[in-house]
Amino acid sequence: MSHQLGRLVSQILQRYFGEIVEKVGNDLFMYGIKPIGMIMKTTGLPRTQVIESLRTLLKFDLAKFESTSGNVDYKLLPDNVLVLIRYPRYLLQMKSKYGTEAELIVEELLQRAACSATLLLVSIANKYKDDTEKNLTIVTLKDTFISLATATYIQQAPVAQLKDGSDIPDLVQVASIVPDLDTRLLMQAMVNPADIKDNVYWKVNYDRFHQDFTDEIMINAMTRRIDDDAGEVMRLLIQEMYLSSSAWAEESNVVALTDLREHASRLKDRPLLQQHLEHYLKVMEENGAGFIRRAGDAGGGQYSVQVKWAARQLVESVLDHVVTERLGSKAARIFRLIRAKKYIEEEDIQKNAMLPNKECKQLTYKLLEEHFVSVQPMRKSQQVSGTQKGIYLYHVKLFDVVHVCREMCYRALHNLSRARSQLVSVHARALDKQRRVRTIVHGMRLRSEPQKNIDDVLETLTPPEVSLLAQVEKQLKQLSAAELELDRNLFILNWYLVYP
Amino acid sequence: MSAKSEDAIQDKIINAIKKIPKGISAAQMAAVVPELSSAELVGAINKLLQQGLIDLYKQNGTLIYKLKNQSTQQIVKGADNEEKVVYNLIEEAANKGIWIREIRNQSNLSNPQLTKILKSLESKKLIKAVKCVNASKKKVYMLYNLEPDRSISGGAWYQDQDFESEFVDILNRQCLRFLQQRADKIRNNPRGPIAGRTQSYATAVEVQKYITDLGISKVKLEVEDVITILNTLVYDGKAESNVYPDGSKVYRAIESLIPPPGLVQVPCGVCPLLHKCYSTGLITPQDCKYMTEWLEQ
Ligand code: SF4
Repeated sequence: MSHQLGRLVSQILQRYFGEIVEKVGNDLFMYGIKPIGMIMKTTGLPRTQVIESLRTLLKFDLAKFESTSGNVDYKLLPDNVLVLIRYPRYLLQMKSKYGTEAELIVEELLQRAACSATLLLVSIANKYKDDTEKNLTIVTLKDTFISLATATYIQQAPVAQLKDGSDIPDLVQVASIVPDLDTRLLMQAMVNPADIKDNVYWKVNYDRFHQDFTDEIMINAMTRRIDDDAGEVMRLLIQEMYLSSSAWAEESNVVALTDLREHASRLKDRPLLQQHLEHYLKVMEENGAGFIRRAGDAGGGQYSVQVKWAARQLVESVLDHVVTERLGSKAARIFRLIRAKKYIEEEDIQKNAMLPNKECKQLTYKLLEEHFVSVQPMRKSQQVSGTQKGIYLYHVKLFDVVHVCREMCYRALHNLSRARSQLVSVHARALDKQRRVRTIVHGMRLRSEPQKNIDDVLETLTPPEVSLLAQVEKQLKQLSAAELELDRNLFILNWYLVYP
Repeated sequence: MSAKSEDAIQDKIINAIKKIPKGISAAQMAAVVPELSSAELVGAINKLLQQGLIDLYKQNGTLIYKLKNQSTQQIVKGADNEEKVVYNLIEEAANKGIWIREIRNQSNLSNPQLTKILKSLESKKLIKAVKCVNASKKKVYMLYNLEPDRSISGGAWYQDQDFESEFVDILNRQCLRFLQQRADKIRNNPRGPIAGRTQSYATAVEVQKYITDLGISKVKLEVEDVITILNTLVYDGKAESNVYPDGSKVYRAIESLIPPPGLVQVPCGVCPLLHKCYSTGLITPQDCKYMTEWLEQ
């Protein structure tokens, strides 16, 4: 676990949970596993604060505890901390796939970390009771909740179990049962939220979202490489794949052509796809970066999705972009050349890349310096001649390079986050003023005071302040957008690292 | 027929014969210079025979023309023994050339003597000195009429031993343009993706023709040369190559699998100081110029 990750994690914790939690989190990150007493000692925080922080961390799944012989040790889960900045992406996914209700459910659930179905639905319904625009009813909310649970975007939270003779609970994963919610009871609960008795807790299943993301990336890649019909074939293949293969399999089980054809025949708006399905499969197999493979001939043909390989191809594509932007397209050419040839001598690089000797050497050394390529010295043992020149073979250790790139992402994310807090603290006064004015105006609107009074309050923000605030807002937006993009980038890298 | 074109025709014939050391028949020769009538051809051949450049043999009832051994033909004129030895050594090296030190080692001649002989041979236009691309100081000798091997001259990409990177860049771009013109054919092609793919492919020969027609190259580019350029496109990630069943290579322009990822969209991703940027110190994200500029865009 790297220093860069640590910096990023503490930056995120501070932003979402404040300084104290950050202190505890950072302490845990640095030392790995620790009991409460030790945390108190190193951070110098009082016991209550440490416990409070740990509770927050545990609640959001950012840390876990382990009990060994009566002691309870805590451990931070840095990867889950990074997930915090991915929340907007989950919401977007929900909104585009299942609509506003789903988005609200997931949002509320993410905020509460874990919640019972009844309480969740009731609180959302109450919150938006007066919102005519959204037009929510408890019935639609309930239905959406059930479809989300069926599609396993949400699942039951682990249950604490006490083992005999110990007072430290174990968290046990339970199989989710799609709940049978009674609309009438929900209606009653809306009026009287205090006596909800539902005690089955739910939480968001990140993994399911991540699967969606990988699928989406593969489909888009095919669309870019061939065309949108090919992307559609990829979608069909992936759908079929989930029926028979485990979620993060390196390679899917085979999918039969007949099944694909049956699904394709339902896509009425894609006549080309129906007509040329087999051709599409063939072209994808040969020109689709190896995403799919013909696995057999039975029943007209069987295909499998090479998920691991696809992840590799995508990661390589990320790295190519990074090298291109950092060191120029010529360096990217060399990078790719070395990768294609596996092991290659300096002279051959120059010959194949068609670059002037000097430039080529410079770029190769630059690549070496930034750890995008590595070099392997070879000794010619039987050589007799006096000039014993060693051979140096260049090659790309993809796994290592992915780690290098990941570190860069961490750094970049940290820096963005840092720049953001800087921005906020520099303009703290203006932002604060804006917030106050907004609350006042909101209150006045609710009391339906005359427009003139409202305008008076609004005018306390001077024009320069208004334009400054607009600019700050734009910059904050830009920073958040960049953060999300970086997270997408990280996602691909981590996807590759999932496979050993 | 002017004297000049006569020479050109003679050269043509000789080159044709050179390619096939076993000798060629009169009919084959006619195919080489189709612009000549049979009477003119006979005239040209007779001239060559007279000059002692080619020989005539009879094989299985047909007449075969062969090249006369040049060393015996030309060196005889006023050469002494040393010159012959050196000449033979150089001849053996063929179009790879031979280094002066090796000539000296093998001929056991002293340095000044050897230099003199080489000078004299050079002045008679029997041999020439060629600079080697791999080692700029190294000169190799070869027979005057030989085309230096690619390993010596570097092929089409070298002019006077200098690598012409601009020329390569231009060709690289032009090839890509050519491929891109047809790359879209694969997208939603009404005749199906396989037909579309075929239309989006370009063979190296097609590309070669396109480049030649553009007239951007002073030297004639062989298919091999064009393939070298096309391969750089593959390494650029802008094209993929495939092999047709008949063994010829085809190329297709492609898009990268993903749009530019997040890392290269932020200043830090392309920042040369990334690895020197810390929370405190001289370079920090808090007062980073790149960051500010980027935010103010
Ligand atoms: S914060 Fe500025 S100096 Fe630091 S890495 Fe980013 S762009 Fe470079």
